[in-house]
Amino acid sequence: MKANRLFLMVALVATCFPATAQDTDAKRLYEENCGVCHQYDGGGVPMLQPELIGRPRANGPKGGVIEVILQGSTALAPTESDYGNEMPSFAHLSDLEIALIASYVRTHFENNGGPVTADDVKSRR
Amino acid sequence: MKANIFGVSLLIAAVGGGANALSPVGVAEDAAVDPATGISLPDGFKATVFADDVGQARHIVAAPNGWVYVALRRSVRGMGAVALYDPDGDGRSTERQYFAEGLQGSGVGVHDGHLYYSTDTAVMRWPLPESGAPTGDATIIAEGFVPETQHASKNFTFDGDGNLYVNVGAPSNACMREMRKKGSPGMRPCPILEKYAGIWRFDADTPNQDQMSDGHLYSTGIRNGLALAWNTHADALYMAQHGRDQFASFFPEMFSNEQSAELPSEEFHRLDDGSDVGWPYSYYDHIKGERMVMPEYGGDGQTVSNEGQDPLVGFPGHWAPNGMMFLKSDAVPADYRKGAFIAFHGSWNRAPLPQQGYRVVYLPMDDDGNVSGDWVTFANGFAGPEPVMNPRNAVHRPMGLAEGPDGAIYISSLMSGGRVWKVTYEGE
Ligand code: HEC
Repeated sequence: MKANRLFLMVALVATCFPATAQDTDAKRLYEENCGVCHQYDGGGVPMLQPELIGRPRANGPKGGVIEVILQGSTALAPTESDYGNEMPSFAHLSDLEIALIASYVRTHFENNGGPVTADDVKSRR
Repeated sequence: MKANIFGVSLLIAAVGGGANALSPVGVAEDAAVDPATGISLPDGFKATVFADDVGQARHIVAAPNGWVYVALRRSVRGMGAVALYDPDGDGRSTERQYFAEGLQGSGVGVHDGHLYYSTDTAVMRWPLPESGAPTGDATIIAEGFVPETQHASKNFTFDGDGNLYVNVGAPSNACMREMRKKGSPGMRPCPILEKYAGIWRFDADTPNQDQMSDGHLYSTGIRNGLALAWNTHADALYMAQHGRDQFASFFPEMFSNEQSAELPSEEFHRLDDGSDVGWPYSYYDHIKGERMVMPEYGGDGQTVSNEGQDPLVGFPGHWAPNGMMFLKSDAVPADYRKGAFIAFHGSWNRAPLPQQGYRVVYLPMDDDGNVSGDWVTFANGFAGPEPVMNPRNAVHRPMGLAEGPDGAIYISSLMSGGRVWKVTYEGE
């Protein structure tokens, strides 16, 4: 719990700083929450976890990635899946943390979908 | 540091080979791969590419009729398996027949004149044809397995008494209340243990047996026992399981990325009727040499558990043992005859550290099925020349293992279009 609150504070503070501080934070949040499955380079793992590079749900309309982070695998129709793992929901993260992660995904690994805001996340809860 | 310790233990294993005639030496870590096959093998062994571009090859069997049958994880033009044949015996198959229409699966085996095959929900069989692919509908032998996403493969093996053993993996990481969610505790009792996380035994000949009403829960507490084989020398069942993922994601205060990459062990067990391997309540730590309490169940990385039997060997974390084989013939030197060949698919759970394990190892054992020495690497180089930072960059990943009627060893991989190698002993 304490760790969570600390997280939040760090994230909040980060919003007041220039882009670089937020970047570091976003990277850390991605690596802690997503990196093990989708790998640090966003390349995914064959047969288990999809790559996040150029995929419509990562890089297309910004709702896609936000919904997947909020709901995990339940955001995807079962027929969409060719993967031997399931993605958990990350709804316990704050709007800002999710926005930072989604923005990181959409502006790294050759993606260019552009950032999302905490309000974008909030409106999809 | 870890890599060093690992290197040293390999060295010790290799040096030990000289002392005892029955301690195999294996292949050196830095041995050059044969450019024609992409793999390296111990002195005296030779490989050929038996088949390329077969599809997503899972388990394989080399039948007495001379054909090699391969289960396909994803169907190829609607077919879930392929039969391969090498008429002139040069180690390269030239005949190929796809079969198992409308199916896809992971397990394949031969028993008592039948070819067995498994999807994620059933084990079925055809009479083994004299040659080529089986025809007609398969007869269902075991069924009623719940369709799942995680650990869904139903790999199987047979004993010498007409029994079929099926692995039913747990659709879970550590039986957390909320799936793979940080902070979510483990459930006790873990309800998943009722229908999953064990080996179920069936009669190999009786059609339409239901998992829960006709199957016998032979061994429990196994997260996913993809590497499962009957040891005919010791007349006993052996299994290597995939240990749980993501220690560092969920318990960063207990496990560094380095520790989380190395732990928990991939456990190698002998399984007797009624045995319990401990998942999800415990895991094995090969560095400490102890079985530990799972953190979701109150463990702290230091507390020893008394739930679950100890493994015979704890392999490094996340190497993913997918195939296991005990040889029956004596086509290979004596020091490779009685032990377990284990195909490690290679890790994905060691990031940000380099991924590891893409190799086939040999674990020496005696006539009674006791481990008699350190494991050595039998085949290596599958992943390619570069350190694997992401498993998708691995060129090949070992999967299934089989022994042909002439004693040749077959190894499958489902990467890069899918490949099967044939390995023979040619002498020094
Ligand atoms: C336990 C492993 C795991 C973790 C951790 C995880 N994911 Fe996933 N993710 C998956 C799997 C598996 C799928 C495919 C889901 C399916 O088919 O049901 C997926 C799908 C996705 C997709 C959709 C990709 C597509 O093309 O359809 C996105 C985007 C995504 N994840 C982003 C994330 C982000 C961002 C995080 C961190 C907050 C994350 N994932 C954490 C396993 C994971």
